[in-house]
Amino acid sequence: MKHLLLTASAVALVLPAHAAPLTFDFKDPKGVNNVVFQLDAPLESINGTASGVSGTVTLDPEKPGEAKGKIVVATDSLVVPNPMMKDHMLGEKWLNAAKHPEISFAITGISDIKKEGDKGEAKVTGTFTLNGVSKDLTVDARVNYLPGKLAERSPDKTPGDLLVIRSKFEIKRSDFGIKPGEATDKVADDIAISLSIAGSAPKE
Amino acid sequence: MRGGEYPAMPRLLIIIGTVCLLAVVVTWFSLGADRGWSKTLVPVAKVDPVTELEFTEYEKRFVPGLDFLIAGSAGSLFLVALGLFLGKFTRP
Repeated sequence: MKHLLLTASAVALVLPAHAAPLTFDFKDPKGVNNVVFQLDAPLESINGTASGVSGTVTLDPEKPGEAKGKIVVATDSLVVPNPMMKDHMLGEKWLNAAKHPEISFAITGISDIKKEGDKGEAKVTGTFTLNGVSKDLTVDARVNYLPGKLAERSPDKTPGDLLVIRSKFEIKRSDFGIKPGEATDKVADDIAISLSIAGSAPKE
Repeated sequence: MRGGEYPAMPRLLIIIGTVCLLAVVVTWFSLGADRGWSKTLVPVAKVDPVTELEFTEYEKRFVPGLDFLIAGSAGSLFLVALGLFLGKFTRP
């Protein structure tokens, strides 16, 4: 009986780590989370980054297909090295950061999951919102679940897990009502986006 | 024309223009000869050791681009041209 109780206690201690969905917060105080965007027009190439990433993803590592969540990027966190170009980009005629302060991707479904240990690849479908226009989008994503690694990243050694997501995809600015058909010789219609983010799920 | 007869103000303008032109070209070359727009932020690639995510940090540094070279050269050449013009009409 004593042996049975000990075994049950041990199982109860070990199992919950993967039994319930975890909510990963993507607001990263270290400022590592970032989005890179590239536009390659015939006359001008524009490269920039955005660091104002937030949002949450709820994921059960054993059932990744049921993940839900939303990643948000603050529009005014977009940076290009030239200050005048940055002012134009965030201004009323282009991204209008004052009126549309957020760019977001809300996950609606996950398919084609290839899982190998704590790493995986999948097609993530969601609603991408930019410049106040929302479109359904399916992107390839690579996910790396790092159980117990949060302590190595937090100054107060908070125990918990990390979820790293990488994704590369392309959108057209014309699809989102950003000056469609205008100035395409200097500002390309195609925008290559590369997302590199890590979320944390602290444990009580 | 002998050098001593050239009026002082036009000669000063030509000297300033020439020095500015040299300074602009030397500055542009020495700070990277960037052929894009001038930058006030320079991206530096870094890697987070735990997540292995690549990210960009920006250093506040001025990198003159072609706009700096063209505007600086045009301004300098204008001073030289003004000096030559004034010298031609104000010479005794």
